[in-house]
Amino acid sequence: MSGRAIVITSGKGGVGKTTATANLGLGLAKNDRKVALVDGDIGLRNLDIIMGLENRIVYHLIDVVRGRCQLRQALVKDKRFPHLALLPASQVDQKEAVNPDQMREVVAQLKEDFDFVLIDCPAGIEQGFRNAVAGADEAIVITTPDVSPVRDADRVIGLLQQSLGDPQLIINRMSTQMVQRGDMLDQQDVLDILAVHLLGIVPEDEEVLVAGNRGTPVVLNEKSRSGQAYERIARRILGEEVPIPELNGHGGFLHRLGKFFTRR
Amino acid sequence: MAWGTFVQKLFGNKGSAGLAKDRLKVVVMYDRLGLSSEQMEALRKDILETISRHIAIDSDRVTIDFHSNQTPAEVAIIAPVLRSRTPGESEKRHAG
Repeated sequence: MSGRAIVITSGKGGVGKTTATANLGLGLAKNDRKVALVDGDIGLRNLDIIMGLENRIVYHLIDVVRGRCQLRQALVKDKRFPHLALLPASQVDQKEAVNPDQMREVVAQLKEDFDFVLIDCPAGIEQGFRNAVAGADEAIVITTPDVSPVRDADRVIGLLQQSLGDPQLIINRMSTQMVQRGDMLDQQDVLDILAVHLLGIVPEDEEVLVAGNRGTPVVLNEKSRSGQAYERIARRILGEEVPIPELNGHGGFLHRLGKFFTRR
Repeated sequence: MAWGTFVQKLFGNKGSAGLAKDRLKVVVMYDRLGLSSEQMEALRKDILETISRHIAIDSDRVTIDFHSNQTPAEVAIIAPVLRSRTPGESEKRHAG
């Protein structure tokens, strides 16, 4: 088997990379795919706690790279989905403890056993970014509709295009109300600037924080709007045609009229 | 949209999103150009020299701005022209 390795990245920290990795991993697992999640954030691991798997870690990525254990010994199986596993990061090592060649080797091994390998990239564009991208076949860039994450996303898109080609985009934490009153960039604004393919939009949702508290990502909660959005994104990754629902009131006549008057 | 918001929009108060987009377009274009401060300085120097060969300009007040409202983006050079003319030109004027 040769699975697809996808790196989830953003440049800017705090926009939802780890949350997205957890939810997309679970979303793909719900659709009966074998999924491995790799925490690429050496020294600041968080995918384990978001997934609710923090108490079951024995070995980690650096142990694998150093030959202190076998790859399969380091994989933490998710009890909710037996075909979903997490390769945790080390909390005590530095980013330099692993290099791009070693990452490539680990991801290649995982691709033999899993349909999908999702790599949670650390913030920034230094060594941690280069490691996380090294083993990937494709990339998903996540941003929120704020000025600094969009700017950083553009920078990261430029870097990714040099190695992996065009990434796909997820816009996270979109607020319908703020877009309607003209105080938040809408999806078209973000796409005008970044000029990449839109994979999905995740609405602003307090449930994400609650899910983090509990260690049960929102995609497992069928009533949550953000969970439904992640579910749809997972299906799009699988190649299904799932329309992106309008979150931004673009269709309203007054809204369009307002835009007409204010556009130069 | 509330009527008040609509009236605000009508009179050009577009909310902060429009401003965010305009600012992002400019900053992203600069980022993509990837010009170092040395390269910007070299560009400025070359432009000043070229224009000054033909027109007397106030070199301290020359600005180089990038605009991305149009596609493709534009670079705008604003160079204030000095009123004092070159000797040749002013002689011609007096003669006429």
